[in-house]
Amino acid sequence: MSAGAQPNGTPRIATLTGCRVLDLTTERGLMCGQILGDLGADVIKVEPPGGSAVRSLAPFFGDQADPERSVYWWAYNRNKRGITLDLDTAEGRDLMRQLAACADFVIESDHPGAMARRGLGYDDLSALNPALVYVSITPFGPDGPKASYADSDLIMMAASGVLILYGDEDRPPIRMSVPQAYLHACADAAGAALIAYYDRLNTGLGQQLDITAQESLGMATQSTLLAATIGGDETRRMAGGVKMGPIRVPLVWEAKDGLVTCVFLFGSALGVFTRKLMNYIYELGFCDQATRDKDWIAYADMLLTGREPIAEYERVKGVVANFLRSMTKAESFDLARQHGFLIAPLATIDDVLQNPQFIAREYWQTIEDRDLGLKLTYPGPFARFGATPIEYRRRPPRVGEHNRELFVGDLGLSEREFGDLARRRII
Amino acid sequence: MATRLPLAGVKILDFMWVLAGPGITRAMADYGATVVRIESVERIDPTRTVGPFKDNNTGAEHSALFGNNNAGKLGLSLDLKKPEARAIVLDLVRWADVVCEAFSPKAMRAWGFDYESLRTVKPDLIMLSTCLMGQTGPLAGFAGFGNLAAALCGFYNLVGWPDRSPSGPFSAYTDYIAPRFGLIALMAALIHRKRTGEGQYIDQAQAESALQFLTLPIIDTVGSGRQYSPVGNDDLEHAPHGIYPAVGDDRWVAIACRTQDQWHALCAAMDQPHLSDDPRFKTVAMRRQHRTELDRAIGEWTRARTPLETERILQAREVPAHTVANTFDANADPQLLHREHFVRVNHPAAGETVVENSRYKFSRTPAEVKRAAPSLGGDNQYVLEELLGYSDDHISDLVASGVLG
Repeated sequence: MSAGAQPNGTPRIATLTGCRVLDLTTERGLMCGQILGDLGADVIKVEPPGGSAVRSLAPFFGDQADPERSVYWWAYNRNKRGITLDLDTAEGRDLMRQLAACADFVIESDHPGAMARRGLGYDDLSALNPALVYVSITPFGPDGPKASYADSDLIMMAASGVLILYGDEDRPPIRMSVPQAYLHACADAAGAALIAYYDRLNTGLGQQLDITAQESLGMATQSTLLAATIGGDETRRMAGGVKMGPIRVPLVWEAKDGLVTCVFLFGSALGVFTRKLMNYIYELGFCDQATRDKDWIAYADMLLTGREPIAEYERVKGVVANFLRSMTKAESFDLARQHGFLIAPLATIDDVLQNPQFIAREYWQTIEDRDLGLKLTYPGPFARFGATPIEYRRRPPRVGEHNRELFVGDLGLSEREFGDLARRRII
Repeated sequence: MATRLPLAGVKILDFMWVLAGPGITRAMADYGATVVRIESVERIDPTRTVGPFKDNNTGAEHSALFGNNNAGKLGLSLDLKKPEARAIVLDLVRWADVVCEAFSPKAMRAWGFDYESLRTVKPDLIMLSTCLMGQTGPLAGFAGFGNLAAALCGFYNLVGWPDRSPSGPFSAYTDYIAPRFGLIALMAALIHRKRTGEGQYIDQAQAESALQFLTLPIIDTVGSGRQYSPVGNDDLEHAPHGIYPAVGDDRWVAIACRTQDQWHALCAAMDQPHLSDDPRFKTVAMRRQHRTELDRAIGEWTRARTPLETERILQAREVPAHTVANTFDANADPQLLHREHFVRVNHPAAGETVVENSRYKFSRTPAEVKRAAPSLGGDNQYVLEELLGYSDDHISDLVASGVLG
């Protein structure tokens, strides 16, 4: 694939070429290593003999429960090689220490303390390799009152302050139907790992990085998490929008043939968009001049101070609703593009795949597995780099696919030792 | 001796605004970068007008949203339309290692501040442009906020109840994903430059970054033809799995049994061991099938307790459970307090306020939140005098010209 122009024809070298990552993560941490792999690192996914538990997670391609067909596995293990190693045996741990001695990054997402109990914690491995960047991804952190709490995607959404903001006000809060919590933590972990690696280029020293899903997710509250501590109003959920004090802000609106999102907000920055939209709505005859000419800059303050009754705000929203309902999703989106309105259709996954923008930018990437008869479409690079474009070089590894390359090729085990370890299920 | 932070000496000229951009440079400031944030007085950052507000004061210096995303940065106010602005910007480009911007694609070009122009001034410049849909393509000009990209990426259609229209995620969801990838992109470019001396341009489309979080349904939709639609709190693998009522107004507790043992532990905790043996609830598949009765039985137990009581009873038995935390819970959360998640800073105009700490902990070079977000133009003198070395006369002329707003 080609994701950017190379200005002077010199060979492209990916950013992390020559860096080795040992990815020991469970289902919580897979995407972090994939990001480093996208940037060119040699990522070795380490699984227990028989394969990672992730491989037994649904859904499966063709609904065949098979460790090589878990969609979850395929989603977050591209650009990695794969080995198996039993870290609960002394020999397995010894081999891991040998690998870690010359690795640049270790990423793990086991229960707090689990790696240290195996003699594979940061203190153990940094003694062998002081330059190692050691990344731990946990639900709540390595210590503290909730360190040993049992977790899940739903639990982390709840604990972070995100979940209370999602859903309909007359029903319990709801999560996104595709798990998200640890993806936020994984993306943060990759950014942190690169900051630490940059520091290492200056100092020669690695360190341990501690990333928690609870704190990573805080960003997804849009700082409403801070309201109580600074004496601000609490934000509350409502179906297809948010409640800010008495102001019910709709974000999902009906179109003639489905749903659109539309920003109808106020203030010196956002009110400008509303003024523009109301001018247009007036021209089409959906409202009178007085409605058009309301002070959209000061409107939120007017509502909060009672200068404008909430009932009048509700009436105005009805005007906007009538306008949006008079058009198809495509028609209002065209208008938005023409006039700079803040309107967009609610896409299904199929719509996303057909979106002409992503097609024109050659965003979608295909990885084919002829043996399994799979041709998979991935979201393309997360950014377009002019000098160091991201490439999807490798499909996710099969169980133990690169054992020989690593153990015989890199660590120098004899074929006999290798066969012996395999027979005893250490690799 | 104070530890040298990882990004000490890295200089960033930050033209970003709203949410997706400033979150990137906030993280870099935490780890030692010097960030000069350019702001227009005429078109102020929209997040200055969005809450939560300190003491509910809706003034431009009281937004905790702006404060949280811009802590640690220096503020320079500039009217980019004025001819005097150009020389200042070019001097800052010469000073900077990184220029980043979050306008719609044509804005920087219109000012003559596009990458090709700026690299004639600074050949090894790293420049990041982050916008909704990317710098090229038919929707390049479509500007807006993260709710629009979240809708176009399919996130809105993935939150909701099966019997109702989708509720959508809270607010501008892709704005909470893109900054993490923007940071990765800038750090990758800094690493590449340190290794090779070469700068580069990065085109970040917020939508393209955010879609990484939908890799699974995208692969599956294409590969298996499965259709994804919102399912409330249902889970493919686990039951019980949901949000249950608790004592109090809008109070809830999350419970997710991921193993058979956890299910048995939940029944024991509820003092209803017979549920363990109930034929309707024997396996995950059966519990999913009889979800309504299952959820009713659990809800009857949780509704008699505060969410925190249920959380503690169940976590003591290693059953995944947590209060559905609101802002008040978060601010009293012993774990977040243990991790010093909330940091007090003094804002020149709003007084003592609070920002979130760095979202990660470094063992050797921990983050430092050195100052509150800048007030509008609050560091003009410092930036012009100390960073650019302008004389007093020069600065007075600039003030008189109105270019500083």
